[in-house]
Amino acid sequence: MSDKQADTPTVSKLSDQQLLDARARLPQHVVHRSFVSETVVLNLRTGKYHGLNPTAGRMLDALEAASTVGDAVPVLVSEYGLGREQIQSDLLALTRGLLERGLIVTADDNGD
Amino acid sequence: MTTATENQAGADRGEDHRTAFGLALRIDPRISIRGLGRSLQSAAADPPSHVRLDDGELQQRWGALTTAPQRTRELHFGDTLLLSVDFAEPAGYLLWARDFGRVLISPDGVDLLCEPDPANADWASIIAAQALPLAATIRGLEVLHASGVVMDGRALLIAGPPGAGKSSLAAALVRAGGQLLSDDAVALQLSDGALIAHAGSVVLQLRSDEDERLSADGRAALGQATQSPIGKQRYTAADVPDPVALGGLFLLERSAESPIVEQLSAINPFELIASTFNLSVRTPTRLQRQLDVVAALASSGVAHRLRVQPGVDATQLAAIALAHLPVAIP
Repeated sequence: MSDKQADTPTVSKLSDQQLLDARARLPQHVVHRSFVSETVVLNLRTGKYHGLNPTAGRMLDALEAASTVGDAVPVLVSEYGLGREQIQSDLLALTRGLLERGLIVTADDNGD
Repeated sequence: MTTATENQAGADRGEDHRTAFGLALRIDPRISIRGLGRSLQSAAADPPSHVRLDDGELQQRWGALTTAPQRTRELHFGDTLLLSVDFAEPAGYLLWARDFGRVLISPDGVDLLCEPDPANADWASIIAAQALPLAATIRGLEVLHASGVVMDGRALLIAGPPGAGKSSLAAALVRAGGQLLSDDAVALQLSDGALIAHAGSVVLQLRSDEDERLSADGRAALGQATQSPIGKQRYTAADVPDPVALGGLFLLERSAESPIVEQLSAINPFELIASTFNLSVRTPTRLQRQLDVVAALASSGVAHRLRVQPGVDATQLAAIALAHLPVAIP
């Protein structure tokens, strides 16, 4: 686990709806670059690299662009042609995983 | 770039002015390093790095530390430690290599203080092999663990695990008309989205059995021959190429099949990260640059997988690689 361990209890307590209403963004110490086969997310504080498959990488892009996590869902539904429930479930799982690893923060957390 | 005033001051001290890995260098006249460039205008980092011989200062600076150094790298052969790098502010990076000595590199990479092992007449080879790539990484270049040859005005790099045949293929490409950039490490500079390759030390080391298969003309093409202390044949090229644009990257991989070349549309970024030379420098600036260079390499479209059988004839392999150059070099 990375430098955001202190946030973990908060993340785990967030309900799905609270998470969908939250805005997710990358803290300043996290950068990512997209490759054909995957997206590499780098935590500059810990020096740890994380690999995301292309779908997770696209979800990260959508999270960054959307006002809230929930707003990213219809964008991804239209891109992947899957059911809203499936996309939302996958997006919430990814969002929790990224939050727990300190690779994204919610808007009310400066993360730095 | 080096200024005229600095050049004059260096000349007054008898310093040797060279370039390697994108760095301009001022070298103590008592230190002899083979295969470095002379074209100071080609350096990417300013001011020059100063390579000097220690007169007790290293121990003084390292011994004065008030914080425990952090071990950032170790290289072992079996149970024997061959090389280590420790970092501590404000002294910098202390590189130690068994039978070669120590080099203390300042945190900004500008000062390299050398404490040689007096029993090893070849001690200075550790400077080109390890200390300068580390200094170049500190100073803003990304060093790839690769052999490099300039072909048709572009850099052709060969990366792969130890023993994969990087030097053999590089030697074959030189015999086919190329110019050696480096045997083991090439510095890359990301400039306006393009990758520029800077020469390291143009000293090539070949296994004796491989060297014995070469013709006299083949050996002559490689440069001035000397025997290295580890039993390999060492060739120092006559000239060091100026920095050139990257034209191709071959990732060597052992295979049971005949040589196969495959242009890589999707490349594993972690394979490229693992091919970067130096993992001791973990500053945020360096980590981000490392990722940027890897992303540029992956998107350049010049990466190829070259699967080779152990023992395959290097001349044949070079011909196969060259046959793909129209693809690799736009």
